[in-house]
Amino acid sequence: MSDETPLLKLDRATIRFGGLTAVSELDLEIGRHEMVGLIGPNGAGKTTAFNLITGVYQPTSGSIEFAGRPTAGLKPHHLAKLGVARTFQNIRLFASLSVFDNVRVATQLHREHGILHSLWRGKGFRESEAAVESEVMDLLSIFKLEGLRDEQAVSLPYGAQRRLEIVRALATRPKLLLLDEPAAGMNPTEKEELMHLIRFIQERFSISVLLVEHDMTVVMGVCQRIAVLEYGKKIAEGTPEQIKCDPKVIEAYLGEEEVES
Amino acid sequence: MLSTLNSRLSTSFAGAKRWLIAGILLAALASYLSGGINPYDRGVWIDCGINIILAVSLNLILGHTGQFSLGHAGFMSVGGYTAAKLTLVCAALVPAALHPLLFAAALLAGGLMAACAGLLVGIPSLRLRGDYLAIVTLGFGEIIRVVMQNTEAVGGASGLSGIPKLTTLGWAFALAAVTIYAIAGLVNSTYGRGFLAVSDDEVAASAMGVNPVRYKVTAFVVGAFFAGIAGALYAHHKQTLVPTGFDWLKSVDIVVMVILGGMGRTPGVIVAAIILTWLPEHLRVFAEYRMIIYALLIILLMILRPQGLFTLRFKKKGKEAKTLP
Ligand SMILES: Nc1ncnc2c1ncn2[C@@H]1O[C@H](COP(=O)(O)OP(=O)(O)O)[C@@H](O)[C@H]1O
Ligand SMILES: [Mg+2]
Repeated sequence: MSDETPLLKLDRATIRFGGLTAVSELDLEIGRHEMVGLIGPNGAGKTTAFNLITGVYQPTSGSIEFAGRPTAGLKPHHLAKLGVARTFQNIRLFASLSVFDNVRVATQLHREHGILHSLWRGKGFRESEAAVESEVMDLLSIFKLEGLRDEQAVSLPYGAQRRLEIVRALATRPKLLLLDEPAAGMNPTEKEELMHLIRFIQERFSISVLLVEHDMTVVMGVCQRIAVLEYGKKIAEGTPEQIKCDPKVIEAYLGEEEVES
Repeated sequence: MLSTLNSRLSTSFAGAKRWLIAGILLAALASYLSGGINPYDRGVWIDCGINIILAVSLNLILGHTGQFSLGHAGFMSVGGYTAAKLTLVCAALVPAALHPLLFAAALLAGGLMAACAGLLVGIPSLRLRGDYLAIVTLGFGEIIRVVMQNTEAVGGASGLSGIPKLTTLGWAFALAAVTIYAIAGLVNSTYGRGFLAVSDDEVAASAMGVNPVRYKVTAFVVGAFFAGIAGALYAHHKQTLVPTGFDWLKSVDIVVMVILGGMGRTPGVIVAAIILTWLPEHLRVFAEYRMIIYALLIILLMILRPQGLFTLRFKKKGKEAKTLP
C-alpha cells in the first residue's frame, strides 16, 4: 500500500433508517496524521457517520475503505483491531470497572494471552500483565489520571470521564481516532487543555483524528480540514478559514448557533 | 478504600496459586478430619462444596458476563449422567485401588460433556438477552430432563442407581477450591476483564476490540464445564440420579445463590451457597416454602441491598455523573 492511499476513504456512503436518510452519499478522505473536523447541526448525521466507520452499522449503499481495505461486513471489534478507535458522544465507560481496568480491557486485542494463560498464570502471563500495567499507567499519566487508577470510572468528574474515554481508545493503539464531541460538558479551561491534549496525542502517537465537535474554537483550533454535514449531506469541505466564510455553512450551521446562543 | 473491598474493582489476584494450594490443603485436612463429623453433617458439607462449584460457575455466566441463564441444572445433569454412566460401566473392570483415578476421569468427562452442552446453549445467547435468554436456557434444561427421562441407557424415568460412592469431602472441597481459583483467576486478568466489559456495555466493549460473542460463549462453556463437574460429584455423592432432580427449580436455587451473594462478587456467592445449603437442613419451613421465601428475599434485596446480601461494598457512586449533559 502506497503512502498516498488515504487512511480512511468513504465513497458515497449512505445509510437509511426506514424513510430517513441519516447519511447520504458521503465522500470523505482522511490522510495519515491528518486532523479532520466533522461539524453540522444536531441530527446532521455525524454520530451515524462514526457508527458507519466503526462497523456498528453497515452502509445501505456506497463503500468504506480503511487503509486500502474495504470494511464491508467487518464488526466493530475487527475494525478496532485494524486500528479504528472511538469515543462516544454519550460517555460509555464500563460502569463497574475501575479507571485502570477500563483502559486495561482495551489493551487485550494486541495480546495473545487468553484463557489458558489466565488460568495457568505462569511467567509469560505475569510478564505480559506487568507490561499491560505499565502501558496503561503511561497512558493514564499523559491525561493526569494515574492518581485515580482505582476509582470506579463512573465516579469521576465529567471532564475526567471524557478524558478517560480518550485514554481507553488510545489503549487499542489506533491509527485513526474518532472523537465524538469530546469537549461537551467541559468548562473553558478543560476545553483549552483538551485542545492541547488532542494535538499532543496526534503527534506523540502519530495518528489521524476525526473530530466531531460543536465548540467552534476547538474545531477551528485543532483541525487542518473541516467537513460540514447537514441533513446527512456534505455541504462544504475546506480549511477552517474557508469554512468560516462559506455562506452555506453560515446559513446551515453557524447561523443556527447564533440563534441558539 | 473502596476498591480493596470490591472484588469486581480489584485489579490483581496476586498469589492466586498460593491460595489454590492453601484451599486444596484445607480440603485434604477437612477430609482427614471428617471421620470425626457425623455422616449427616459430612453429607451436607459435601453438598456445600458442590453448591459452591455451581454458584461460582454460574456467577461467571450471570454475575460477570450478565447473561441470565436458567440452564445450570441442565449442565449439572449432563455432567452427572456422563460421569455416573462411566463409573457404573467401568467400576467392575478397574481394580478398587484405581477407583480414584477412574473417578477423576469421570469428573473430567462429565465436565467436558457439559461444556459441549454449554457451547450449544451459548449460541442462542449471541442473539438473545435478558428474559428471552432466560426462557431459552430454561427450555434447554427441560429438554435435557425429558431426553434423560426417555433414554433407557441412563435408566429412563427411574434414573441411575447404585452409583459408587466416590465423592468425599476432600474431593468436593478441593474441586470447589479449583473452581474458585479458575473463575476468579480468569476474571482477574486482562483477558478476563473482557467478561465484565461485555456485561457493562457491549457496544463499547466491541468498539475496544473485545469480541462480545466470543466472551459470551466462553462464559457458557467454562461455566457449564464446572457445573458438569458439580453434577459428577453430586452423582457419586447421592448414588442415585433421577431426571426430576434437575428440573428448573434446581436452576433457580443456583441463580438465587448468585443474586443473594451479589452478582459477580465471588466471596459473597460462596457465603450464599453455604448458607442456602444449610438453611433448608435446619429449617423445615424454609425447605417447604423455599420458592416463596426466595421471591420475597429477592424483592427485598433489590430494594434494600442491590449489591447483594453478603458483600461488603460501599454505595455505588457516580450515578449522578451519568445524568449530566
Ligand atoms: N439507529 C437509528 N435508527 C433510526 N434513526 C436513527 C438511528 N441512528 C440515528 N438516527 C437518526 O439519524 C439522524 C442523525 O443522527 P446523528 O447521527 O445522531 O446526528 P448528530 O450526531 O449529527 O447529531 C437523526 O435524525 C437520528 O434520529
Ligand atoms: Mg451526535
